Parts: sequence; structure tokens; C-alpha cells
Amino acid sequence: MSTTKTKWNVNFKVYRKKGQNPSHYDQFTLEVDPDEYVLDAIERIWAFHDRSLTFRHACHHSTCGACGMLVNGVEKLSCITYIRDVVEDGGTLVIDPMRNFPVVSDLVVDMSLFFDRLEMVGQRQVVPVSDETIGDGKKAQSPTNGKEYLRLSDCIECGLCISACPIAATNPDYLGPAILAGAQQNGLDRKPELLQIVDQENGLWRCHSVYECTAVCPSNVDPAWRIMDLRRQVTAQRLKRLFR
Amino acid sequence: MSKPKAIIIGAGFTGVATAHDLALRGFDITVVDRGPIANGTSGRTHGLLHSGGRYAVNDKESAIECIEENTILRKIVPGVIEPNGGLFVAINESDMAYGEDFIEGCEACHIPIEELTPQQALRLEPNLNPNILAAFLVPDGTFDPLRLAMAFAATAKSNGAKFKLYTEVTGLILNGQGNVTGIKVWDRTNDERYEIYGDIVVNATGAWVGEITAMAGVDVPIRPTPGVMVAFDQRLTHHAINRLNKPGDGDIVLPQRQMVVVGTTSFEVQDLDYVPVIEDHVKLMLERGAELLPAIKNTNMRGAYMATRPLLGSGGSGRSISRTFKCFDHKETHGIDGLVTITGGKATTLRAMAEKTADVVCEKLNISAACTTKEVPLISYREFYRLPNNY
Amino acid sequence: MMSEPSRKSGISQAIRWFDPRGRDIGTIAFILNRITALGLTFYLFLHLIVLGQLAQGAEAYDGFLATIRSPIYIFGELLVIAAGLYHGLNGIRVGLTSFGIAVPQQKKLFYWLLAIAVLGSLIFGIRMFTA
Repeated sequence: MSTTKTKWNVNFKVYRKKGQNPSHYDQFTLEVDPDEYVLDAIERIWAFHDRSLTFRHACHHSTCGACGMLVNGVEKLSCITYIRDVVEDGGTLVIDPMRNFPVVSDLVVDMSLFFDRLEMVGQRQVVPVSDETIGDGKKAQSPTNGKEYLRLSDCIECGLCISACPIAATNPDYLGPAILAGAQQNGLDRKPELLQIVDQENGLWRCHSVYECTAVCPSNVDPAWRIMDLRRQVTAQRLKRLFR
Repeated sequence: MSKPKAIIIGAGFTGVATAHDLALRGFDITVVDRGPIANGTSGRTHGLLHSGGRYAVNDKESAIECIEENTILRKIVPGVIEPNGGLFVAINESDMAYGEDFIEGCEACHIPIEELTPQQALRLEPNLNPNILAAFLVPDGTFDPLRLAMAFAATAKSNGAKFKLYTEVTGLILNGQGNVTGIKVWDRTNDERYEIYGDIVVNATGAWVGEITAMAGVDVPIRPTPGVMVAFDQRLTHHAINRLNKPGDGDIVLPQRQMVVVGTTSFEVQDLDYVPVIEDHVKLMLERGAELLPAIKNTNMRGAYMATRPLLGSGGSGRSISRTFKCFDHKETHGIDGLVTITGGKATTLRAMAEKTADVVCEKLNISAACTTKEVPLISYREFYRLPNNY
Repeated sequence: MMSEPSRKSGISQAIRWFDPRGRDIGTIAFILNRITALGLTFYLFLHLIVLGQLAQGAEAYDGFLATIRSPIYIFGELLVIAAGLYHGLNGIRVGLTSFGIAVPQQKKLFYWLLAIAVLGSLIFGIRMFTA
């Protein structure tokens, strides 16, 4: 937070869509603190300028994954995106809903298929710490009773990776980075059916190595790495079966 | 025989838990909220699955509620909880003096604690302040706020509850006798306005309950009390870390995914719809958090936000008001039937708040149906989006 | 609930992969890979047509040789070589990373391979235009 409390004037062009009406952009000019987050400004637009604005948000600290949106065309988790990182004093921020999901209203998108697929691959939200944190391979456990520590996973199911993926843009049947990463996290050994689910043309092999998913992920998931790792695992398994 | 219809205003913790309870008791439920699930206080809660240790000295009623509900939630919805326990640590003499009362209080409230030597505590959590004087292990935990709410909502939905999100209540519908028979709503997704009728309206809007009751000319003693939370970019602890002293500012640090979150402060506001982050409060969190986990000073700040507690007023400052909850039957308070308000409470006690509310509702409608939510496991929170008819 | 299909049709979505604004270097690599692929395919197509015509005898062949000595054609061939170098080298990167090798280094790998492709194209260019 700045000590001199500088205030900027920033223009917000926000995507609007209601019902069957065509979409358009509404302009709002706000006085903002550059150290604030984009979500703060959007909330103020709703609170003080236009109560009809709909947007998703809950935790305001990157654990719920609800507030994903496009900020000047780039996927961002708006609650942890500093205004100073995306615009300057007097500049314009264009706010759009995430790509590759059907729009429900304004910045709210329909994520039912996304969650359906996540459930299908069984991405685990609560995992042993050592499973999730790619680290020294040691088990994180209580030294007193040996119980493994659990934690909420890196993936917050925000959907930004799906929005950024050009393959997901052209092929809605592609499972997508978050789902494939979730499959890798769950593990082929934990859920053998995953082999069929991911080893198909709209699964692992549809990825074209663009790496945009990892670039936009706000939560250390590195989906691209997980997709490639899963490919390695799947190939190894298939080869093993071939030579059995 | 048609099911009794309940309208629940508010899809935060209280609303979704009540929807879950009443759905199991055979009600036809419609939940409305002007925003998405948990978009108010509930989404921004610190996320502490309270052992009750924090209230064991000054608010034993809350403490007992907490430890009971903590145990239940671990059983019915483990899929959203980091269950690694918590530590109460003493940094100075004032903290040490509190220790005696703490031990007594926890025992009186049946909160299982274990005293550790500073060395043991530091082995457990190497990032703790190396100068701690004492430590107690408690069964705290961290939960994901949105997913906890979604798990209740999903289960309610699977039992027939309907959710109308982004739908704002613009007025209560009163009949000739001045009793509430429904709500007027504005669906913000398509700008449609319509009415929903029911046998009972449950006002579960937390800090905003006064705004809803005002629509019937009624007031409730709610004292909205926000506080700041600051998230930092490293998981410095697996346990919840609490300051061993009476509740104060910035005395809790929680792990959550790859972060730690320090909270909180306490002040009163009038305008609930937007509470700006106060820089001094953020600085205070940094300082106080660093007293518990010094490495916070070298960790990047990831987020800062305000959450407004729904405190029930009746004298006393924010911290000394009881953190327990109350269900108001407005037939009793103001002669207006068809409306109950449930507010106060803490996230950890959401199920208990719902049970009490559902009991009141059933009694009012002469329905005998017992609460089963202590035993019924919640379904996957993802089902909320998978089940049809929702955003 | 009211959900409508993704905002745009398949064609405009497909063209959107062309847009590097706001995207990271991986997308640039991907876009160039696709463009060079299209270019090389087009070149192959041209090549086959030309061969077909050359099958018509020695005169056609001599005439063809005369044409392709002009700078425009040499430049065109340089483009083909550059495209081939880029596509082949990036292809190695994609092939390696596709099976989990060197994934964390994929950006660095791209820059190095791009440098080699550019260098190679320069060398060929110089040789072709000074021959």
C-alpha cells in the first residue's frame, strides 16, 4: 500500500450482457488507489455506479477461484491483480468475462461443464502436502503422531487456463488444461479409469504446447507441465502393456 | 401432500446451511441472493475451523458451540478442510498470564488441548517466533470458505432446493394482516422482476439483516463489524497459529493453500455494501502476524480485503459482544408472521445456526421433523454446478 | 438458467489463435509454428505443381531455371528455408516437451532454437544472394 495515498483516474470499459440483448461495453471512470486490486474497483462500480452489474467473487484472496476475468485481454484473478500492474494513471481497463465459457450475464460465465469434468477426473481439493507441493519429496507430517499434513490443493478451479488456451477456444470437446492437470494430480494409480479418460484425441493429445495455461495460472499449478508429465506416464503405461 | 415452501434470503453460510436442513426436513426451498454463493461476509471469512479455544475464557457459550460443530464439520464435509490442528502461542508475559485461564476455560468447554514446550512447538512449526514461551495444541483447522458454502448448497440442491442467484430482494410482500407471504425480486441477470410466494421467509442475510427487516418496518439489533484480512504468498505454517491472549487484532494466522492469512481487526460501519481496505489495518496485520511468524516480514503480500461480521449488538464493543447467534421470530418481536431472521454466529457454527432456524420454522408451521444434519455427509461441492438449473 | 453458446463462430475463434496480444512467448512459438506449417505446405503444393509441369520436357525445365534465378524467387526460397529451420527446430522443442523432457526450460529452449533458426537463415541468405 502506498504511503502517500496517490489516486489515479482510470477508465473501466466493462462487458455487459443481459438476457438475449446484444452485448456492449459500459464506461465508468473511477478514482482508484494504484495499490488496490481490480476486483475492488469492480465492486465499487457495482456498489456506487451500477447495481445491475453481475460478477462472481467470494474470498478476495485467491483461494476460491471465483473472480477470474479478462483484464485488457489477459486472464487475471482480479482479487490479487494490482491496478498498478495493469494500467497507468489516466489509462483504460477493459474488463471481459473469461473466454471459452458461455456467458450467463455480464462477467458471470457458465462453468457447469468445467466442474463436471473436474469431478470426472477427480481432482482432489484436499491432498497430502507432499503430494501437492512439488518439493523435496519428503512427507510433511506431524513429528508427534506421524499424521500426514493435508492442505487445499493449488488448483482453485478458476478456469483462467481454459480461457487462455487456443485449443479450448476452437474445440469445446477438448478437456482442457485444468482438467488434465487435475487428472495428473489425482493420479493414474489412484484412479485407473483416468487412462481412458485422458488418453484420447480430445484429452492429452489435443494439447499443442502453447503453454499459455501455465503462463496465466494464478495458483502455481503449472498445468502444461502436468499435461506433459501425464503424457509421459500414459505412454509408459501403454508401452508396458504392449510388451507384456 | 404438498411440501411447505420456504424462501431463504441469503446464500451465505447461514442461508445454504438452512436450505440444507430444511430440504432434508421435506421443505420446498428457494434460496435467493443478490450475488453469487458466499459473496458477502461468508466468502471472505478468515477460514478458521474454530476449536473454540479463542472463546474458552470470555465467551464459553460460543466456545462450546465451536468445538461441537468443529467435530461435526470434520465428519460431514472433510473435502474442504485442512485439518492440521492449531497452536496457541505465548510471546510475552501477558500471554503467559492468560495461560492459566486458557487451560481452565478449555477444560470447562471440553476442548482437547495439549501443552507443548517451546522446543516441541518449534519442531512442529519451524517458522514460529523462536522466542515463544509456551504453546498449546488445539483441534483448529482451515476451511475453504466458498467450497464449504457450496457443499451445503449442493446437498440442498440435490434434495430439491432451488437457487436464484444474482437475484435481489427489492421488497417483502405483506398480506392484509401485515404478515409476510413472499418477496419481490429483481433478477439481475436478465433485468426481470417478479414475485416469489412461500409459507415462510427466512432472512439469512448476515450483516445485512437489518436492510431486509426494514422492508417490513422492523429492526434487529445487528452491529455490522468489519475487519481486515491480509494474505501472504508463502505457506509458512501447517497449523493455525493463535496468540495466547484475549481476542485482539491480528492474533490469528491461518494456512490456506500456498498462503498464510493474517486477521483481523474490528470496527463499526454503516455502509455495508463496500468497505474499503484501511491501510493502517493492513500494516497492523503485517506487524502482528510477524510477531507469530517472523518470516511474514519477508513475504510478498498477495491480497488484502475486508469482511463484515454480523455481530448481535447489546452494549459492549465489537470484541466483547458474544459471538453466538440468535434466531428472531418476528411474530414474537413485532407481531409480523411469516418472517424469521437468523444472524450473528460464526462460520464454524453454520450448521447449528441452521438447525436452530429450521426448528423455529418447523414449530411455526406446525411441522414435526427432526434435524438430521449432524449425521448426513455433504455431497461434493462441485455438484452445485453440475446439478441443473443454476449458474 | 440461461446459457448461450460461446460468443463467436468457429472461424473467428480459429483466427483468434493468430492474435498474440497479451499472450506469453509460448503463444508466439505456436503462432509461428502454424504459420510456417501453412507456408511449408503451400510450398510443397507449389513444388508438386512445378514438378508436374517439368515432366513436360527439357524446354520447360530450362525456362523454369531462368525464372527462378530472379531475386524474388531466391527470396521466396530463403523464406522456405527459414520456415523449415524454424519449424524443424521448434518441432524438436515441441517433441521433447511433449513427453515431459525439459518442460520447465521450454522458454529458454525456444529462445536458443529461435536464435539458431535466425542464424541459419542469415547464413543461407548470405550464401544465396552472393552466389
